[in-house]
Amino acid sequence: MSKWTETLQVTPPPLLSRLFSVWYRHYRVYTKNLISNGFPPFIEPLFFLAGIGLGLGHYVGLIEGVEYVKFLAAGITIPPAMFTASFECTFGTFIRLEYDKVYDGMLSSSINVKDLIIGEMLFAGSKSFFFSSAVLFVVSLFGLIPSPYALFTPFVGFLTGLMFAALSLFITSFVTNINHFNFYFTGLLTPMFFFSGIVFPLSEMPRGLRIAADFFPLTHAANIARSFCFGNFSLSLYLDLIYIICFIIVLTFFALIRLEKRLIT
Amino acid sequence: MKNKAIFAENVSKTFKDVQAVKGLDFQVNTAECFGFLGPNGAGKTTLMQILIGRCRRDTPDKSIVEIFGFDPEIQELEIKYLSGVVPQEDNLDVDLSVRQNLLIYTRFYGIKKRDAQERIDELLDFMDLSEKKDSKIRELSGGMKRRLIIARALINSPRLLILDEPTTGLDPQVRQHIWDKLRQLQKDGVTILLTTHYMEEAFQICNRLIIMHKGEKILQGSPKNLIWENMESYVLEILNPDLVTGVKLSGDIRKEETETRVFLYSENFASLDNIAGSMKPGSFFLRQANLEDLFLRTTGRKLHE
Repeated sequence: MSKWTETLQVTPPPLLSRLFSVWYRHYRVYTKNLISNGFPPFIEPLFFLAGIGLGLGHYVGLIEGVEYVKFLAAGITIPPAMFTASFECTFGTFIRLEYDKVYDGMLSSSINVKDLIIGEMLFAGSKSFFFSSAVLFVVSLFGLIPSPYALFTPFVGFLTGLMFAALSLFITSFVTNINHFNFYFTGLLTPMFFFSGIVFPLSEMPRGLRIAADFFPLTHAANIARSFCFGNFSLSLYLDLIYIICFIIVLTFFALIRLEKRLIT
Repeated sequence: MKNKAIFAENVSKTFKDVQAVKGLDFQVNTAECFGFLGPNGAGKTTLMQILIGRCRRDTPDKSIVEIFGFDPEIQELEIKYLSGVVPQEDNLDVDLSVRQNLLIYTRFYGIKKRDAQERIDELLDFMDLSEKKDSKIRELSGGMKRRLIIARALINSPRLLILDEPTTGLDPQVRQHIWDKLRQLQKDGVTILLTTHYMEEAFQICNRLIIMHKGEKILQGSPKNLIWENMESYVLEILNPDLVTGVKLSGDIRKEETETRVFLYSENFASLDNIAGSMKPGSFFLRQANLEDLFLRTTGRKLHE
């Protein structure tokens, strides 16, 4: 109890309000340039469908009993969620941390490091939700999504966003030079994009690669998203979901420890 | 009798191989303006960060930091809720407008939407920024940005305002304007904590101050008393050292020399005036001793970086 100073009664805002305020800050800044920030997820799937789906699909027969372009359309609802959350929590976070000093201001208001990090993750997840929705919308226009369960894929996008936000924040906590993110994008995310069952099924891959793919977070998100898009469910999806939830919890835990060390000296 | 806003005892902070703050003790009264004066690297910013929980002090169980009844080690949020912080570096959201920058901060403090607009208008008016409310941050001058950051720090009507070198790099008009506002806030009962290396700033607005050097407290008191107790009253500053090489100095004069200047200090105006009388106008300044003289005397004239 206080012995030396005049004690004031205060009630700082509750946790949810603090998390929302961090989310709201990012939301305001992001929507400031809505057109330039918001159009890529609507355009990119067109290139994929035309470039790979039609171009390459012409030479590919049925995959797991469906046309290649449909197989691809379901898959590509998820990678934009991965990439947008990863950009947000690597370059975005690093700039806020080191260049713009945005965190210095936020942390001197009624916000602590946990609020800041989790609010940041929730915003990245929301962005991922939006990106997955946009892709889903575009590919649906071409009649490539057979099942109405597909409406749940943006939620898979949200979870994907949380996974990659946590992973990216963890990576960012080690980075002192912004150029080092290239290792993360080229070394980890690009291979993940190709070897997670997005553009071709894993079943035909060499055994080593299949095992590696099981460790990739993107594989599990893609499995669930594709099941929703086709309305094909199996019990193994629970394993995918458990993987995703554990990944989020563990990586968030480590990201928090690391960033707390970096932000509180 | 608890009219104290801050109580600190034996506060230290060690980074890897440097001790940035060394066993500092101080107390700040409510509605007082308290200054930390020191050269770059004296530990002023570290100390401010300790107060708001951005920096963990050494051995918290063997030291005390209490702000309005709260310890930053455990009640960081309470302290930050009661405080406004003006950082050394500008950190506004450059993509947002003036008004939006403030709006974001009303959310951080959980201020209700309908109260927020009112508070924002009030503060823009207080800091004379009403005309700029829809401007982009990039369009603001350095002085306007500083004023906006002060407005932002005031958004939750803080009981404690912490300013880390608030007027560094600003022109005299803006500095005067900011000082006026700080005096006004103090009159309204806000406790102000300020770091600076501008002597005039400390002299103008601080009731009491500490002179820090290499993490330690060197002197503490009101600006006037500090000069009075630690310095001679008058200074004769001579621009060319050669002018005084042959001059015999009376016993009541103390001499300090740098490579390009000579400083003669005395309680006795007449003895300094006597020496000055023999020199060409423009080659000397004869003046009252000020905080800068005291500062340079206590922290040394060499660069500390």
